[in-house]
Amino acid sequence: MRYQIVIAGFGGQGVVFLVKVLSVCAGKKGYKFLGTENHGMSQRGGSVSSHIKIGDFYNPLIDYAQADLLIALDKDEAVLNLPYLKKDGKIVVNADKFPSLPVEIYKIDASKLAEDGLFDAKGLNVFMLGIVLAKVKDFPFSVDEVKEAIQETNPKFASKNFEILDKAIEYAQNI
Amino acid sequence: MKLTLMGNEAIAWGLYHADTGILSGYPGTPSSEILTTYQKLIKEFKLPAYAQWATNEKVGFEVAYAGAVAGVNAAVTMKQVGLNVASDALMSASFIGNKGAFVLVVADDPGFNSSQTEQDSREFARFARIPVLDPSTPKEAYEFTKLASKISKIFETPVMLRSVMRVSHSREIVEVEDNYSFKKQEGDFKRDISRWAAVPRTGRLAQAYEQLERLDKIRDFNYREFIKPKIDSLKGSENLIISSGAAYGYVKEVVEELKLDIDILKIDMPYPLPADRLKELVKTYKKVLVVEETYPVIEEEIRSENVYGRMSGHMHQVDEMNKERVLESLKKIGLYQGKNIYKPLFIPENFSVRKPNLCPGCPHRDMFFAIKKVFRPKKSIYPSDIGCYTLGINQEAIDTVLCMGASVSMAHGFAVADKNKTVIATIGDSTFFHGGIPPLINAVYQKAKFILVVLDNSTVAMTGRQTTPERENPQVDLKKVVEGCGAEVMEYFYKPDINETINFFKKVKKKYEEIDKPLVVISRQFCVLDRERADEFLPKVYAEVDEEKCVACDVCTTQFVCPPMAYNENGKIEIDPLLCVGCGVCISGVCPTDAFIPRKEEK
Repeated sequence: MRYQIVIAGFGGQGVVFLVKVLSVCAGKKGYKFLGTENHGMSQRGGSVSSHIKIGDFYNPLIDYAQADLLIALDKDEAVLNLPYLKKDGKIVVNADKFPSLPVEIYKIDASKLAEDGLFDAKGLNVFMLGIVLAKVKDFPFSVDEVKEAIQETNPKFASKNFEILDKAIEYAQNI
Repeated sequence: MKLTLMGNEAIAWGLYHADTGILSGYPGTPSSEILTTYQKLIKEFKLPAYAQWATNEKVGFEVAYAGAVAGVNAAVTMKQVGLNVASDALMSASFIGNKGAFVLVVADDPGFNSSQTEQDSREFARFARIPVLDPSTPKEAYEFTKLASKISKIFETPVMLRSVMRVSHSREIVEVEDNYSFKKQEGDFKRDISRWAAVPRTGRLAQAYEQLERLDKIRDFNYREFIKPKIDSLKGSENLIISSGAAYGYVKEVVEELKLDIDILKIDMPYPLPADRLKELVKTYKKVLVVEETYPVIEEEIRSENVYGRMSGHMHQVDEMNKERVLESLKKIGLYQGKNIYKPLFIPENFSVRKPNLCPGCPHRDMFFAIKKVFRPKKSIYPSDIGCYTLGINQEAIDTVLCMGASVSMAHGFAVADKNKTVIATIGDSTFFHGGIPPLINAVYQKAKFILVVLDNSTVAMTGRQTTPERENPQVDLKKVVEGCGAEVMEYFYKPDINETINFFKKVKKKYEEIDKPLVVISRQFCVLDRERADEFLPKVYAEVDEEKCVACDVCTTQFVCPPMAYNENGKIEIDPLLCVGCGVCISGVCPTDAFIPRKEEK
């Protein structure tokens, strides 16, 4: 199995948390895993793009035209990372508007939903992961596997994160 | 046991399983998590070991090195520019050697992600004549850390473990030893004046010859243990790629994805290399491409007619490696004729790039705003330093950035060179303790006249909020240190009110005009990411914009530059409520038309 994911956002949005959760998922399933994180100067509110490679890989960086999935916590960051997407890749993006492209795109204005009080804005990362679980058919992990990994990565906020994840999955039924 | 580890965590586990009794270092991206992880492991497994930050890399090196001289397994961590600071100690330690293991962990940053330079620390290992191991993934980082310690102990020499950002900040599932029983390290310093205190000329000359002998032995070890088994398993293709470290991962994937029949030789220890034996190997191939990051270290050692790489002009010269670059190099030397499978299919259009910026609510922003208000740009020079506050460039409140501590010495130099301007420099508290004290003493000693603002947030913010000397132990008194240097001191206790800060700097200006020596402002502030302290400082007054009052004058977007502020579709400033942390500073007087007002309804 080979599956490559780009997670895009900006510093402070919790991109690294998602990398951690998915790395734990892979570990539990016995898949090989390589992922990148951004720290330091690149983290201070600037663009953050983390790469996750599941399967037989030797280097953590994804090259252009290779990613199966682009998860974007912000519209501009999604656009910026489009070059990584492969021909039949999929996009899950937090945006009110998004250009139409010849690929599967799931566009959710999650920032607006958070502002309207559907969930705590700090959980935007987990909410978008919920949309991925509900919509992306070839995503290599199940809801239970992700929950188990969330529990392990941050037990203190696990129940709050489960709630957000479930809300996202429920919300995704309408799109 | 299998663990999902970041490269830096894997290195810390390697240090644990190498019985490392003393670990020191200075934070710097991408190396910082090694020491903090080791601290956690010490706590979790109750290890009888020392792992503490030092005031700078040179100090950290020397603390750990003394441990190794006394027979304790020791290590020191830093980023690549940190090694420049520690290099004085390294160059001599490589002559003298050590009894316990001494592992120098250096994390490079190809691609300038968080660094001023892109230097290749393997080059430094070669310069200092010490062996260097170059892991390609977190898994290897764990194994190579243990190996580095072992080699250091066998040959009594410092050994460098050279990581890069894509190893240090990668995550991988790593198999680590189960139920490890840590062998307690008890130092027992054995007096040997001719070795530990070798002096010029006789003592050091003898050590120089010993060093060459030692290197020959390590070169043989490198061939026997690392290189020969790999040469034996080469398939015997027509062409060869020699690679090391993270670069190897790119090579391996490119060769697989392009389905090329090329042998790959991975070098684990890029120095010292058995160059003669490698040159023999090179002769048996038609073409040999060297793929390494970032300088041509291996290439230079084995350069021959059929060896291609940076020196032959067939590989990019700066910036991070990627698979497309490997593909292009293969194309240039005729080993691949197909299409570029790494060419983007979707090209970004109509988007804005988010620049790194000071966090919402960060007091540095107020300081820069006020400094520029009181000390106008045309009449001032703003030297600054390395840290979060370097982002004051967004407010154009920084004119120079060189290296740790240079704000102080450059302020001195500017004051000598350009007497018509006021020099007002900025530096963080950790950077001041790191490299700011000797230049401040020099400035007092030479009667220089400038202002130095120490932005004291009591944390090493940029690298993940490690503790600073004063925070950890208040006996280190920043104010007394500055006074002891002989400088004039003014202390400011930060308030989230821009007029208070501006008025304070007006007093600073007055003081500066009265005295004839360096004036040091100590601004006692906080870091918004520092949960222990931020809450007491943030008044939780959230802002919004009165659109009728906003005249789109750009003062907030060019002089204050706070992330939640942006123009909306009506051409008025709008505050992103999800980003605003409620510092209330913009409301206190940043806007010339008072368009920022407290948010009415609680969202």
